Amino acid sequence: MAEQKLDGGRLHDGATGVPKIHFDDVRIGFGKGAKRKEVLDGVSFDVRSGEFVSVLGPSGCGKSTLLTLAAGFAKADSGSVEIDGSPVVGPHHDRGVVFQQYAIFPWLTVRKNIAFGLTLRANRHNKADISAATDRYIDLMGLRGFEDALPKTLSGGMRQRVAIARAYATNPSVLLMDEPFAALDAQTREFMQELLHEANLEEQRSAMFITHSVEEAIFLSSRIVVLSNRPTRVHEILDVPVPMPRTAESRTSPEFIELRRHLEEVMRSMSSFTHGGTP
Amino acid sequence: MSKIWGRILWPLAGFGAFVAVWYAVAVSGVMPPGQLPRPDEVVATLAGQFRDDDLLLDVRLSVLRVLIGVAVGCSLALPVGFLLAWYTPLRQMFDPLFSFFRALPPIALIPLVIIYLGIGEQARLFILIYAAFFASVVVIYEGIASTDEIYVRAARSMGASEMELFRRVIVPLAVPQVLVAVRVAVGVCWATLVAAELIAAQRGLGASIQDAANFFQIEMVYGGVVLIGLSALVMDRLLAVVMKRAVRWQDRVGG
Repeated sequence: MAEQKLDGGRLHDGATGVPKIHFDDVRIGFGKGAKRKEVLDGVSFDVRSGEFVSVLGPSGCGKSTLLTLAAGFAKADSGSVEIDGSPVVGPHHDRGVVFQQYAIFPWLTVRKNIAFGLTLRANRHNKADISAATDRYIDLMGLRGFEDALPKTLSGGMRQRVAIARAYATNPSVLLMDEPFAALDAQTREFMQELLHEANLEEQRSAMFITHSVEEAIFLSSRIVVLSNRPTRVHEILDVPVPMPRTAESRTSPEFIELRRHLEEVMRSMSSFTHGGTP
Repeated sequence: MSKIWGRILWPLAGFGAFVAVWYAVAVSGVMPPGQLPRPDEVVATLAGQFRDDDLLLDVRLSVLRVLIGVAVGCSLALPVGFLLAWYTPLRQMFDPLFSFFRALPPIALIPLVIIYLGIGEQARLFILIYAAFFASVVVIYEGIASTDEIYVRAARSMGASEMELFRRVIVPLAVPQVLVAVRVAVGVCWATLVAAELIAAQRGLGASIQDAANFFQIEMVYGGVVLIGLSALVMDRLLAVVMKRAVRWQDRVGG
């Protein structure tokens, strides 16, 4: 499938119009009988080609479950999850996954972590290609000088940079990110958002980004899918009108602040709902 | 400087303190005469035994027996451990059974071993292999089964096949656990050695202790105990060095 061009965050829809990720009436629950709890109660939305979509929702609403389904680590009870028009049957290297926990391999150096996927038979690359691609993502994520470092010597932010570089390296059709910055301190977190934003403007990958941070969702995304409390449905889907490329100043732009106010109110109303509506 | 203290001087000070207390108790007359030799008497006896009675042969034989026990026991434990870690039903099936066998003191098996294997070398080795296998197999499969699922998911999402997953994720993750298992096996084998050498062994440290006890050569009993302890300590330290090198990537290394 041909890559489609982004223009200031707006998408020129491709000729095929097939969404990158397609969730259609997805339902999943846990437990049996009277103890059964519905988590996803008919969730539908698309991530179109070239879009960076954040999924925002209160804690426990099952947003990470959506990612698990798209990644192929679990199956929905009903409904369909499709990537590039084909149903998800299991994990596949057409989807690059970045996890909330530090999932880079601790026994490999930064360089070998990033090259890992490229050296698998499924991706079949020659040595020169592997080395060129690895170098490219070392530079893209600002890891030059740390190529031979072991993960235990890296900070949390650096580890997640390696994880993102590793996900890009196998040239996936879509990126799936599950709150990758949740464990970082506030300052590192903002820096990582900016780094990821710049990297993805250059890479132009379609992405689904799970987060519970309103700020993060606005800063990174072209669209935001807001989920409700459990049993979870799509509460609303919003375009982010903040112009691209975004910089630290974008955070204080009127569009940004306006959208943040709206989303914070939505999130607050949901959390007061779960906490019994205390004033 | 603090490194030298931590690695060499403090441990030596610990041994020094122990020997000093031993010496003090031996000369104080608390114990009936002849029951507790002084450390220097033990060392002199050992020196004499090395000179006149080829005590080095006993040390070598015992070390060799332990090494064979550990090598064979752990080599068997490795594939079994991996299988049990990988296939949950197998683990559920065999876990209690392995705990049962691990809990049996090898010494309790000696009469049976003599019946089936006689009193030759193979009987002694069987006891050591048995001890090493059951001590290490549990450590191996518990370690591998608790492997963090996140690394498996990460590798699968990059397109790793089952074989690649095993070779490039499970095996490297298992290395520290396997080394821990080997270390446990070494400890258990030394602890079992005397029992194994009770089976009519002519030579070996366990046999030396047994002989010395029969003739009430209390200095040599102490000497044998000290040599077993020292041999086990040296092996354990060597393994600790190997571990430190092999698993440098780990955040913490049991050292």
